[in-house]
Amino acid sequence: MIRVESLSKTFHDKKRGEVHALESVSLEVHPREIFGVLGPNGAGKTTLLRLLATVLAPTGGTASINGYDIVREPAKVRASIGFLSGDMGLYGRLTPREILRLFGELGGMRGGALESRIAEMVALLEMQSYADTRADKLSTGMRQRAAIARAMVHDPPVLILDEPSYGLDVPTARLIEKFILDARNRGKCIVFSTHVMEEAEYLCDRIAVIHEGRLRITGTMEDLRAATGKTRLREIFLNLLGIPDTRMEAHA
Amino acid sequence: MNPFALLTIYRKEMLEMVRDRRTMFSMVLVPIIAMPLLFKVAGYFLTTSDKQAEAQAVVLAIPERLAMPGLEDALRAGGFQLQVSDDPRAAVEKKKAAAAVVEAQSPTGDPLVRLYVDRTRTASDKASDKLRVALDSLKTEKVRAALAGSGVPVKVLTPFTVDRVDVAPKGKKGKMELGGMIGYIVVLLMFSGCMYPALDMTAGEKERRTLEILLAAPASRQEIVLGKILAASTAAFITAVLNVLSLSYAFSSGAIGKDMHDALGNMQVDGRVIALVLLAVLPTAVTAAAVMITISAFAKSFKEGQSYLTPLMMLVVFPAIVGLMPGVEASAGLMLLPVVNVSQLIKQVVSGEATAVNFGISFGSNLVYATIAFLVAVRIFQREDVLFRS
Repeated sequence: MIRVESLSKTFHDKKRGEVHALESVSLEVHPREIFGVLGPNGAGKTTLLRLLATVLAPTGGTASINGYDIVREPAKVRASIGFLSGDMGLYGRLTPREILRLFGELGGMRGGALESRIAEMVALLEMQSYADTRADKLSTGMRQRAAIARAMVHDPPVLILDEPSYGLDVPTARLIEKFILDARNRGKCIVFSTHVMEEAEYLCDRIAVIHEGRLRITGTMEDLRAATGKTRLREIFLNLLGIPDTRMEAHA
Repeated sequence: MNPFALLTIYRKEMLEMVRDRRTMFSMVLVPIIAMPLLFKVAGYFLTTSDKQAEAQAVVLAIPERLAMPGLEDALRAGGFQLQVSDDPRAAVEKKKAAAAVVEAQSPTGDPLVRLYVDRTRTASDKASDKLRVALDSLKTEKVRAALAGSGVPVKVLTPFTVDRVDVAPKGKKGKMELGGMIGYIVVLLMFSGCMYPALDMTAGEKERRTLEILLAAPASRQEIVLGKILAASTAAFITAVLNVLSLSYAFSSGAIGKDMHDALGNMQVDGRVIALVLLAVLPTAVTAAAVMITISAFAKSFKEGQSYLTPLMMLVVFPAIVGLMPGVEASAGLMLLPVVNVSQLIKQVVSGEATAVNFGISFGSNLVYATIAFLVAVRIFQREDVLFRS
């Protein structure tokens, strides 16, 4: 479903010169799979997701989503994905229902089918009480639910979610996790980035760790444990980054 | 290009626009209320100050005694209130009198009437004009009396008379002035009317972090930019429509004040003129929107965008003001210049002077500018370094 081959992205910065945000990253994500992308801030996670969403253009390598090349067929790629940015990206002056209608229409949905889908999303993400309230009046959790519904409204086969649980309280984060698992069970291919190790360990079928623009490891939790000799994802992550785990040292 | 996606983007921008107070203020409130009100207030102050100046212009300072026979009577006959003063010149300087009259002797020893006036004061200027009439009349009387004594016929004083005939249709001057004003105001407000929407759709979207999800939605960059430009053009055009309608109503109905209405020759702006003015501004509305969207796309925030667009507004003021200048004749070259051409064309349309050639040149060239501005905007929206500038 997602095939990434030697994907690179270099930015030209006036002060810093050439910045290699992503260097020759290759990976595959399959339908009915949740693929987690981990990495410290500035590792290149968001750049990878933006490249897959065709928001940015790669400077090297290729990638395809649902069989469509991200450079040559960006329109078809965008029709195949639901993208959630790290900042949610909700139009404050519109209501969640209006936002869902906007993105549903852009996704090619019309009339009764679209309204049914909106009603379904509103019910699934428990947004009935505020679906017609302006987004700038909503809490962070409400906004995030609306943002996820927005990414899913046109029922794309691929979901690209940048930190979907960032800043959420436990009940809302739990609801989002359940939603992601349900989406996987309905055959969706899901790529998401997160800083929450427990969430990644619980949700992901496979995990990739990116550091300084390079892919350090990809695999299931078992693969990661075998490669690092560590048990918990937090330990594995810090080990791959070459950072000592102070929490473990304190226990020792 | 998918027209449905384009329409969806357009509808989204319009919905956001009507829910934005700043946009509604500049797009609706200013053209409907502020401008006619400004004319009414300006008209009130102009007429009030003119009446005050007229009342003050009759106060004339004179010394205790005027020796020249008939001078005092001539001044009274000219409508002046004579105010005896120890220092007539100081009375004018201290604004106690509009003007002063003193007697002196010329270097040749002839009688000399010296007038003291303050040209910076309207009342004094008016008094000066009235004095000239009164003194000319006295001079003529004296010459007439001298001629009568010497037997020379009085007719020698007027060997011929001059009759000046104004060939311009009645009210044309008022229409030219009004056309210049409408052209200037409409162009200026049209640009300011689309400034906030253009900023909101680009720099505002960047600041609120919504641009990224729009770029990842199933719509091409061209559809997104065109949807935004069409929405900003609509804002500019609505501002122009409301402005033209409210100004036309204010000028035609006399809502700007009776004195201002009289000064403009009680003129009416008919439906045909309004339609032609709106047709003339249409391509400029698109150009304004595309240029503003292009410039504000470079800004990271709404505030930064404002500082980019403010100089553009100042740049627009100067060419727009050409329409207000008396004596500027519309030439083919002038009708090719952006902003100048549309303000000039509006002036011509309102005064009934517009020709099909001038309309065609202005409209055609503005269409070309709009197309270029749109193409530039599309190119800018392809650039990551602009959209994701950090």
